[in-house]
Order: sequence, then C-alpha cells, then structure tokens
Amino acid sequence: MAASDYSVDLSQAMRMDAVPPGDWLMIAPLVITILGGALCLMARKNTDSQPKIAIIFLTLLVLACAGLLARVLDKGVLTMVAGNWLPPFGIAFTVDAMGATLALTSSIVALAAAVFGINDIDSSGRRYGFYPFLLLLMTGVCGAFLTGDIFNLYVWFEVLLISSFGLLVLGNERAQLDGAVKYALLNIIATTLFLIATGLLYGILGTLNMADIARKTASSGVDGPLMTVAVLYFLAFAMKAAAFPVNFWLPASYHTPRIVVAAVFAGLLTKVGVYALLRIFGLLMPEARLVLSDLIAVVAIATMLTGVIGALAQTDLRRLLGYLVISGIGSMLAGLAMGTGPAMAGAIFYAVHSILVMTALYMTAGVMRGLGGSYSLRELGGLYRASPLLAAAFLMLAFAVSGLPPFSGFWPKVLLVDAALRDGHGWIAGAILLTGLLTTIAVGRVWIYAFWRGGAEGTADGQLTASLAVPREVGGAAVWMPIALLLGLVVIIGLQPEFMMQVAQRGASTLVEPLGYLRSVFGDIVQ
Amino acid sequence: MSITGPEATFAAVLAPFAAAAIAPFATRLLGANAAWPLAVVPAAIFLFFAGLVPDVAGGASFTPAVDWVPAYGVSFSFYVDGLSTLFALLISGIGTFIILYAGGYLKGHPHQGRFFSFLFLFMGAMLGLVLGNDLITLFIFWELTSITSFLLIGFDHLRAASRRAALQALVVTGGGGLLLLAGFLMIIALTGVTDMATLLAGGDILREQALYPLVLLLVLGGAFTKSAQFPFHFWLPNAMEAPTPVSAFLHSATMVKAGVYLLMRMHPVLGDTAMWTTILPIFGGITLLVGTLLAVRQTDLKLMLAYTTVASLGLLVMLTGTSWEKAIEGAVLYLLAHSLFKGALFMVAGTIDHEAGTRDVTKLGGLRGAMPITFAAACLAALSMSGLPPFVGFIAKEYLYAGTWGATGAHQAVTAVALIGNALMLVIAAAVALKPFLGPKVETPKHAHEGPVLLFAGPVALSLAGLAAAVMAHATGVYFISPVVSSVLGTATEVEVHLIPGYIGAALILSMVTVALGIVLYLKLDALRAAMARTLAAIGWGPDKGFDQVIAGIVSFSGSFTRLVQGGRMDVYMTLTFLVTALALLVPLTLTGNWPSAVPMPDFRFYEWGILAIAASGLFAVLVAKTRLTAIVSLGIQGFAVAVIFMLFGAPDLSFTQFMVETLSVVILALVMTRLNLRPSDHRPMLPRIVQGTIALGVGVGLAGLLMRITELSFDRSLSDFFEAYSRTIAHGRNIVNVILVDFRGFDTFGEIAVVMLAGLCVLALIRVRPKHAREEALDRAAGDEALQKSGEARL
Amino acid sequence: MEAAFAILIGMFFTVAVYLLMSRQLVRVLLGIAILGNAVNLLIFTSGRLLREVPPVIPEALQVPEGTIANPLPQALILTAIVISFSFFAFLLVLSFRAYQELGTDNTVEMRVAEPTGETAPPQGY
Repeated sequence: MAASDYSVDLSQAMRMDAVPPGDWLMIAPLVITILGGALCLMARKNTDSQPKIAIIFLTLLVLACAGLLARVLDKGVLTMVAGNWLPPFGIAFTVDAMGATLALTSSIVALAAAVFGINDIDSSGRRYGFYPFLLLLMTGVCGAFLTGDIFNLYVWFEVLLISSFGLLVLGNERAQLDGAVKYALLNIIATTLFLIATGLLYGILGTLNMADIARKTASSGVDGPLMTVAVLYFLAFAMKAAAFPVNFWLPASYHTPRIVVAAVFAGLLTKVGVYALLRIFGLLMPEARLVLSDLIAVVAIATMLTGVIGALAQTDLRRLLGYLVISGIGSMLAGLAMGTGPAMAGAIFYAVHSILVMTALYMTAGVMRGLGGSYSLRELGGLYRASPLLAAAFLMLAFAVSGLPPFSGFWPKVLLVDAALRDGHGWIAGAILLTGLLTTIAVGRVWIYAFWRGGAEGTADGQLTASLAVPREVGGAAVWMPIALLLGLVVIIGLQPEFMMQVAQRGASTLVEPLGYLRSVFGDIVQ
Repeated sequence: MSITGPEATFAAVLAPFAAAAIAPFATRLLGANAAWPLAVVPAAIFLFFAGLVPDVAGGASFTPAVDWVPAYGVSFSFYVDGLSTLFALLISGIGTFIILYAGGYLKGHPHQGRFFSFLFLFMGAMLGLVLGNDLITLFIFWELTSITSFLLIGFDHLRAASRRAALQALVVTGGGGLLLLAGFLMIIALTGVTDMATLLAGGDILREQALYPLVLLLVLGGAFTKSAQFPFHFWLPNAMEAPTPVSAFLHSATMVKAGVYLLMRMHPVLGDTAMWTTILPIFGGITLLVGTLLAVRQTDLKLMLAYTTVASLGLLVMLTGTSWEKAIEGAVLYLLAHSLFKGALFMVAGTIDHEAGTRDVTKLGGLRGAMPITFAAACLAALSMSGLPPFVGFIAKEYLYAGTWGATGAHQAVTAVALIGNALMLVIAAAVALKPFLGPKVETPKHAHEGPVLLFAGPVALSLAGLAAAVMAHATGVYFISPVVSSVLGTATEVEVHLIPGYIGAALILSMVTVALGIVLYLKLDALRAAMARTLAAIGWGPDKGFDQVIAGIVSFSGSFTRLVQGGRMDVYMTLTFLVTALALLVPLTLTGNWPSAVPMPDFRFYEWGILAIAASGLFAVLVAKTRLTAIVSLGIQGFAVAVIFMLFGAPDLSFTQFMVETLSVVILALVMTRLNLRPSDHRPMLPRIVQGTIALGVGVGLAGLLMRITELSFDRSLSDFFEAYSRTIAHGRNIVNVILVDFRGFDTFGEIAVVMLAGLCVLALIRVRPKHAREEALDRAAGDEALQKSGEARL
Repeated sequence: MEAAFAILIGMFFTVAVYLLMSRQLVRVLLGIAILGNAVNLLIFTSGRLLREVPPVIPEALQVPEGTIANPLPQALILTAIVISFSFFAFLLVLSFRAYQELGTDNTVEMRVAEPTGETAPPQGY
C-alpha cells in the first residue's frame, strides 16, 4: 500500500467519542447467545451438559436484557455503530424502550423453554441441536429487536427463520415434515417480500439506516412509489405476524413440533413481525401509517375475529392455542391502526402479555397431554381432580388470555378499547370486546371438557373416570418452574401494571415522537 | 390511620382474600368446624361497617384512596356512603351466616376448604364492587364477581348441568361486563372524571352529553345482565345448580343485586331522563311478571325461589327506573327486606334438601315436627316475603305502593304490575314455607330431622332481622334507609319509616288487595301451575334454549368457516398469498398514479441483448420443462445468464459467487430429483393454470412497473460515496464491495455466516434423526431378530 | 437501461411465482431458485446500473476515479445469495425427507398436519 498523501479527517467518517461501558449491553445479547450456541454445539455429544450450558447463558441473557432496559429507561434511546462508523453509513444498533422490553420478555421465555425442554426433548433431539437452535433463535430475535438498520433486520429475520426450521423438524415425525414444508415455503416468501421491499426502498431513498429513513420520509413525505413499497412492507410483515388473510402457515404448522418448540414459537415468532410493523409504520413511515390506517384496521379486525373463530373450531388443543395467537395479533394490529400514543402503548403492552401467556399456555398444554394422554378435547377429561395445581394454572392463564382481570391481559385490553373509544373507532372497540367474549367461550370450553368433565367425551354424567380420581404428580421441577415463572409474571403484571404501563408508554412515545430516536443516532444535529 | 377509621376500608375489602388463602388449611385442620373461626372474618367486617353507620347516617362520606396505576390514572379507591355501607353490611352480615351454613351443608365434602376459599374470594370481590370508587377498580371487582361466581356455580363439576350453568353465567354476565367496560371508558373519556364520587358530584355532567344514550345503554347492558333482567334472566335459575350456600349468598342476596346497586349508584347522574324512566320500568316490569309466572310453574324449591328472585330484581329495577322519590324509598326498603328473607328462605330450602333428601315441593309435607326451628324461621321469612306485618317486607310493600300510586297512566301501570307480582310472590312464599311443613307427613328419601346449629343459625338470624328491622322501624329509617335514599337521589333526604301506617291510605288498601289476591291464587296453585305448564309448552322456546342454540351455532359456524379458509392445501395457500401480493402491488400503483411514464428504448449492445434473451429463454424453458434434464439445464442457463449479466454490469465478485452458487444448486437439485425419481412436468388442470398465470403475471407486472418507476427517480448516492471515499483510506481495502462486506457492513456478514452454519445443522438434523415410530419399529425388528435367533439357537 | 432490466425482472418474477403455485414440490423448488435470482436482479437494478466499471480502487489511487458501479447493492446481494442458497439447500433436503416419509411429491396429498375430512368441533358441555 502506497504511503498516503491523501489526508483524511477521521471524525468525518467515524464516531470519535469513547463508547461508555454500559452501552456494550446493546450487543451483549448477541454475544451471549452466539457464544452459548457455539458451546452447546461443541458439546454435541454430551447431551447432559447442554441444558446446563444453555440455562447459564440464557440466564446471562435475561440479566443483560434487564440491564439494557434499565439503561434505556435511565438514559433514553441508545445507539452503537458496528465499527464505530458514522451512521447512516455503518450498521447501527439503536435500542429504545420498546425493543429492550420485547428483548427482555423474549429472553425470559427462552429461559423458561430451556428449562422445560429438559423433560420434553430427548437425547436425540439434544444431540441434533435443540439447545444450539434455541440459543441462535434468540440471537435472531434479540438482533431483530435491537438493530437500527433495515437490511440488518432482514439478516436477523433470516437467522431467526432458519433456527426455527431446525427446531420445527426436530424429531422428524411425518406431521412435522408436512408442517415444515408449509411453514418454510410461506415464511421464505414473506422474508423475500421483505427483501424486495428493502431493495426498492434503497432504490428510492438510498439509505438503509432506520433513523435516516425516518428523517428522509419526514422531510420528503411518503408518496409515489414509496407508498407502494410501504404496502409491500405491510404485506411482508403481516405474513410474518400471521395476520389475516396471509396466516396460513401458522395453523398448518404450530401443532406439529415438540410442545416446547411450539411454546417458543407461539410466544416469539409472530411478535417479531408485529415489532417490525410497529417500527416501520410507527417510526420509519408514519405518513404511510396514516394513509393505510383504515386498511390496517380492517386487517386487524379480520385477524382478531377469524383467529378466535378458528379457535372455537378446533378439537386439538395445540391448534386452538395457535388460533388464539392469531387473535392476539389482531389486537396488536388494532393498536397500530389507531396510531396514537395510548394505542401504540396498548399494542406494546399486549405484545409483552401475549409472549408470556401464549408460551405458558402451550407448556400447560404439554402437561395436560402428559396427564391426560392426548391433545384432543374429545379425549381429555377429569384433569381437575387429577391435578388441582394444573387446573389452577390453566384457569389463570385462560382468564389472562381472555383479558379478564386481575391478570395481565386486562390492562392492554383496556388501553386499546380506551384508545379506540376516544378516537371514535367504534368498530375496533367492538371487535376487541367481542373477541374477548368469544375467547372466554373458547377457553371456557377447554376448561369444561378437559378439567371439569369427568373423563373423555361420552363419560356418563356425574361420573369420574377411575384413573383420574387420584391426584397425580406429573413432571418434576423442570416442568413446573417455567410455568410458575411465566404465570407469576402474568399475575404480577395484572396486579401491579404500573411498571409495564410506564415502559409501554415510553416505547410508544419514541414511535409517536421520534426526536429522541433520531438524536440518539445522529447527535444534536437534528432540530 | 385508626383501626376503625374509614382508611381501614382497605383492610375490610382485602380481608376476605386473605381468608380465602387460609381457608383450605383451616379446613384440613378443623374439618367443617373451620366455619366458626372463618366466620369471624365477615363478622369483623360487619362490625367495622356498623361502626361507620352513625357517621354515614349523619351525611358523611369517605373516599379512602391509594395510587395504583398512576401512569394510566387508576387509583385503588373506595367510596363509603349510605348506599355502599348498607350493601357492605348485607354482604358481610349475610356472609357470616353463609360461611357457617356452608360449614354444615358441605360437611364431609373433600373440597370443602376450596369451597370456603371461593366463597371468600367472591365476598371480597363483592365488597370491592359496592365500595369501589375509581371506575376501573370498580369494574375489576365487577368482573371478579363473575369469575368467582363461575367457579362456585360449577362446584359440582362432574355434572354437565353444572358446567353448562357455570359457562352460561360467565358468558352472559361477562358479555354484559364488556359493555359496562365500554360504558365506563366512555364516561372517563367524555367527562375526564375517573371516579364515582367526583362523577356523582357533577350533576348533569353525563345527562347533557350528546352520547348520553349510548353511555346509558352500555351501563344498562352491564346492569341488566348481572341482575338477570329479561331477556337475560335465564342464567339465574340455571345457577341453582350450585350448592345452596352459593344460591343463598350470590344468587339472591348479593351478586345479582350488583346491577341494581349500579343503577341506584348512578341514578344521580344517569337517572331521571326520558330514556331512563322508559327503559327501566318496562324491562323491570316485564321481568317481574315473567319471573313470578315462571316461578309458579316450578316444583323445585330452589327454582321457585330463584324465579321470584328474578321477579324481585325486576321490581327493584322498575321502581328505580321511575325516578319517583317515594318509589325509590320503597325500592331501598324492599332491597333490605328481600336480602333478608330470600337469604333465609334459600337456606331453609337447602336445609330441607340436605336433611330430607328432596327439593320437590310435591313430594314434601309434614316436616314441622321433625324440623321445628327451620319451620319457624321459614314462617317468619315467608311472612316478610308476603308483605304481612310486623315484618320489614310489609313496610317495604307499603312504601313502594305509596311511591307508585298516582293519577297518571304510568303510575297506574306500575302499580298494577307491582300488585300482580307481589300477589304471586305471596303464593310462592306460602308454597315454600307452608307446603313442606304443614299437612300429613310424607315419606322422604332421607329421614328428616333438624340439622346442626350451623344450618339453622342463618335462617333464624336473618328472619329475626327482618322482624327486628320492622319493629325498630324508626331506627332503620334513620340509620339505613335515609342515607341510602340520599345517595340514590343525590340529595339529602329524610325518610320516616313507620311500622304502623299513620292512616288508611291507598298503600294499605293495595297491600290488603295483594294479600287477598295472593291467598286466592295460592288456593288455586295446582291449577295455576298446570296452566303455566301448558302455556310454556305451547310457546316452546325461551332465551335459555336460545343460549344453547347460539353457542352451538357459533361453534359449528366456526368449524365450517375455518375449514373453508384453512383448507389444508399448500397450493391454495400459495395462490391466495400471491393474489394478495399482486393486489398489494397493483392497487397502490394505480391509486397513486405511479405507473412509469414512457418506457425508453434502451441502447444495449448486441451481446447485452443476447444475454438478456438467453436469461429469458432459460426461464421459459424451466416453465415448460417436462423432463429432468430440461429442467436442470434450463435452471442452470438462467442462473449463469444472471451471472454474466452481473459481470457485464460491473459486479465481478457477484458474478463469481453467482456461478458457484448456481452450480451447487443445480448439482444438489439434480441429486434430489434423480434419487427421488421426480418429474418436473406440470399436472395442473386448465382453470387453475389460467388463474395462477394471471396472478403471476400481475405480480411480475407490478414489480416491473414499480422498479421502472423507482429507477426513473433521482438516486441518492451518499452511502456509496462514503464507501468509495473511505474504503482505502481508512479501511485499507481496494475492493470496495469486499470492504463493505467485512468492515462497513460486517455485521450482516456475521449473520449470514450464522445462517449458513444453521442451515448445515438443520440438514444434519433432517438426515440423521430417525422419527420415533421408525426407531420403535427398528427396535421391534431388532427384538424380533434376536428372538428369532434365540429360538433358532434353541432348536439347534 | 434499468427499464429494460425491469421488464426482464418482471419476467423472472412471473415465472417464479407461477412455479411457486405448483402442486409439485420439485416445481416449487425451481420457483424458489428463480425467485432468488429475481430478487437479486431487482436489488442490483435498484442501485442503478453502470456498465463494466467494477467498484475497485486502482492500485495507484486512494479513491476511485470517475464513476464506478454502485458497491452497496452488490454487497447486499452477496449476502442475499448466500442466505437464499442456504435456505434452498435446506428446502431440498426437506423435500427429500418429506418425500421419503410422506411418500409423495404432490402437496395436495400432503395432509398429515391438516388431515382431510376433519370432523366438526365438539359440542355440548
């Protein structure tokens, strides 16, 4: 290399301030999960040590995310750029309250799944990668929540997706392969649409940094081809988030893998799609959100209602829960459609609640299968006597998912209905309330058949199947601790929602009033 | 904060929840006798509120509050005034005896501890409801009563009828609750007021809103469903599936009164309008008549009492709905009277069932000798229910007639309805209290005898209370009735309550007519019952059956709809997805008018045209390929053509990578296709081909048009300028694309490598892991081989 | 130039999407391969085209001279090619295993996860 007589002012290209030590928490989630995944992979043959490694690293992940959230609440939006290049030229990691909260909730759920998987995944599953896949799934999830660059978001979506493929096929049962084909193809199409939209967005705006995109759309407006690109983004993430009518992949596949995998999927995958929608339509292209708000509202209402109708139609418990996931997505989309601060706060709060509750419900379903021998509502019965503890857990989670107080589902529902009524969105308010009622009926039916009824369908009235009359132990600590953790959080958030409320409002305010986000990326140049 | 001061309201509301937590342990230790220590809790609450009565009667009110969710403006606050104090006394007082009664009724039941817990949970929720100040807090307790009622109704869960009744109650009251939530949120949004006390002080703050009718209807939705007004009344009689302590507590004295409480509570701000005074009396009146007529039809003691509860709730709603001051006085008196006598009569019915083994009034008789105490209590309660002196029921009837009697048509109609209803209630009262006890002794399934004190303490206490309240009428008026009426009317009112009427007025005459009519009808009870049975059979349908049909209809519709939408076929999923994609592209492009303007003729060199043509022909060759070779070769052609395009347009790295990747793809594809002996030809019929072809064309045209339009715009090259400027100078690399990959955007590459590694792992998992059934088959086969070998060896 | 490319890209997408809607998995896989190429061409064109001048800095210079091809889309496409190839390889093996276990290549016949003839949901209490 020739000696340079070409002088370069580094400060024009790179960030010159030292990175405060606390900011390293921003990439800590990625480092922890990849390191953990690599170690578990190296310990492939040693299937006994893998859960231990995974649990240690996931606990570190929870701590890191908690620290990150605390730092964001304290200092505001944080930004760190890979290679210290100036944004928007380098890849920025920009963490706000919404991203940090969702990352923390996801990591708690992943930890719960890792513990639950001790019983649920056999040694063959462990050897062929349950724990590495789980850890790398969390890499993708945390990366998606924390990144500030839209192509980087695509890369993390792909990491997330391929890990989910691995988890989905673990076990190689016929149903899994069938489900995996549909899941894989439809999700690949969704991420391809995302990539197409990103390529076109680059062609219009010439930048990939989220804050830069927000800046440019704010000054030049969203019209012309950018509006079509916005619709394409909506479609792509609506597919990822399982909105109606492009959610075929979810009911086709969520009931096929191991129950712990289904639990993780139900909690995390669709919420990353919702996060992306909130980010793109809240921060990047709010004008597009305004123009499309009626369309988003229609999609939200349709998703809510078809989701709960689908749940009422199911006999298999896992498929029923999958449809309840879809129904929850509808409520979050309704928050996006309304777009005000309280509405977005409701959507964020609902996302956190949904992550916790749906994972816990799937795990509980796994325990019900262990006790009752089947996932079918026609064959389950009498579980109330067999395990009162399980019954109590299921009942509380059922009330939570229906939005009944005093559990975590009540407050986001109130936030969303309140926002809808205040802005004159009567249809949205009515749809949310009706969905709540139908959800109560759906989970009420599960309770009546699986717990209160004396046995399988056709048991004589008033009779209790003899085998279920005596309370039984089912699963050890590995099964109950995760459920207790998630259920405990659901109850605590329900009884004292103040913290979550504040966090959700902080997250929403960054979307509605993005100055803090832009300042964090670009410094005080932005006025 | 003193232990008796209003701040201790928090303790009063939360104490039952604490009791719910210890009840199972207490029961495990003491068995049924745990009822005695547990009953101390509601008794203490009763004494606490009794201590507040003098202040409240003097016109004071308290609003102890604590911040709960300040970020959303919700405080955990309570409003202690006349109305809430009376209800709190009824809940805790009757609750004390219910706990004792439950101790006796469920003695020996394995889940008695759980039952106590649920009862206490309900009690706490009900207290929170009547005392609630902040609207959201009140609503939370409202929903909690629905939830706990669900658990209590379904207590005997092995029977389908119990399960059905529980779900029905949850759905109906829960549905009404959702309407109430909307109503409360609208009130908060419209007025900015979040708590009852401030709202009630606001005067016309709600009545003058343009959306007042909607708010009223939403609140009525909640109140009517909870208080079983027609046509939402059907869940209450079905709730009799619950054990009798539940029926006596929830479904007569407390929970079902929650709707009436809400109407009385909100009367100052919602009442006295045309809508209020039309809707409430109509629905209340219909409920009163329907309830009493359906009650006559019944032979089950509990059902008779349940239907008359429906009727009584209708009477209360009707009276509150008139907004006439004297009618409201009557309503408050009747509320007190009804809670006392209905609770007592339910407990009597339960005791008869528990001791004699049947609840069918046609199969009971002559029990007065075997159960004298219960008989006495039943008589006292029945006399109050019939409106005879010297019981508080008589005073209530007097005052309500005084309130409804008047010259206008509305007055006449309300009075007439009240008269018929009250007469029929006398019939039922007599049927419940007299029929099982008087007359010759009838053989009952169990040998009847008086139950333990746990069982008769309640009926005796409550019926004596009904007597005492009347005898001490003046005190009742000053301490209980006046404060409540003041709360309901919104202005301080003094009500003079006398047991002995001052003069022979319309009220006394109406009371006497009611009694006479009632006696006449009672003597004709059997004929009446048969006539009702025939009428109902002729009608054939009712909201109860409607509920079943609605649920079944929803479920089967859901089944059909979901089977339609989620059919199970992959190609349908893909087709619909791409249809949506095509629309997502074409519609916005058209609506925003963003189709590209004229397509300029590009000035390509001949080899560039050539390579574009090769790529296109490769594409179409893949499309129509019928053999493996054609498909693979065509795929290779289009891939390599793309690689050449990259090379021609300044992307040598890209070109190289594309060549490699395309080669690998083609090779692996060939392997898979040959191993599986797959043919790539298309077997679709014509119609799907056309439809799908159109959709595909739509997607292609949309993307092409969008891309064309975008490339017409000017391009911001600042990112690339930056990379060009600093690639060598700072990052020390000449190949800018490489520098981007490993430095500027190295993070992406990091993720990309992770994807490759994971894909490899996935493939490994796919190939190596044998599915469980295959492993089991392999094991079986191995076992079989071994057995065969062993037997072979044995034979050898 | 970009306009003509857009037409070619449109053709690519049309063929890819048509193949993706097939009933046979092997045709769907062909569609995935072509879709990948289509997307890459789209990103390439989006970054605007320039003939022949690769984004490489000559030996003697510190910054490139004159206009060069846009390097950023090329980097993005490289990432996308590798990722889509990984997915393609996975899909191939998945189809292989699915054919082995389910015995068919025709998605209409793949009805294990969502069986045909599903009965109505349970009624009653």
